[in-house]
Amino acid sequence: MNRMPDDDTIIGEADTRLYECCVLYPHPIPQKEEKELLESVEEIFEEAKARQVAKDLWGRRGLAYPIKGYTEGSFAVYHYEMDPSAVKETNRSLQIAQGILRHLLIKPPKGFQITKFSESYEKWLKERESEEDRKIAGKEEELKKKVAEKAKRQVKKAEEEKKIKIQETADKPVAEDKLAEELEKLISSDELDF
Amino acid sequence: MQKKGKQQRTDPRLKKCPMCEHYAKYIDYKDYPVMKPFIDYFGNIRQRYYTGICLKHQKMLRTAVQRARFMGMMAYRK
Repeated sequence: MNRMPDDDTIIGEADTRLYECCVLYPHPIPQKEEKELLESVEEIFEEAKARQVAKDLWGRRGLAYPIKGYTEGSFAVYHYEMDPSAVKETNRSLQIAQGILRHLLIKPPKGFQITKFSESYEKWLKERESEEDRKIAGKEEELKKKVAEKAKRQVKKAEEEKKIKIQETADKPVAEDKLAEELEKLISSDELDF
Repeated sequence: MQKKGKQQRTDPRLKKCPMCEHYAKYIDYKDYPVMKPFIDYFGNIRQRYYTGICLKHQKMLRTAVQRARFMGMMAYRK
């Protein structure tokens, strides 16, 4: 088999390539410990003679599921340029490092552009909140409309009932009066007759 | 022969990949808003048949979702 050498084999020992490392650590920890932890992570990379390209601290984030009893964590995303042969060792030392819940060391594809997600995520959250607020506001408005309509209908019903009652009350005395008058007439006529 | 007046669905083959429309080369596992529409209520990845995403991007999405799940950014199961 005569195969062309892959890109990785062409890269010499001195050459480096971009790696991305994401570290998850528990959130409610003192600031001093947090600082030490991040420094220790950076030290691990420094040992591998890696050059830091970008650093992105996400801060507090809720976790989708509890990890080691923690429901909240903080993320730190690093971009390093380092020797591919040193990756395995750094990965191993990251596994051993204390205070880290999870870590992920990956190789971004060619033409990868570093984007900071800490800001965009917050933006997205705000947008979503505003959308939810709008939805809630819409629902409330609908409810208010319904309530107002119901109140109107009730008022109308009450008015109609009142009218009917008034009519009935107006009708009744007349009828009673008439009855009384007729009775009286009858009685009187009867009396006259007898 | 198709009967008229019966169910008329759009041909799933006519759906276009929403990722290809944006010329996405890579789906980032940190980008939750992008992955969200392809995840159902229970946290499973939606089938290609329903989303219309192409195979290339579905595979990218799978790795991204797996990474996000591992890092606790996305739920395995709701």
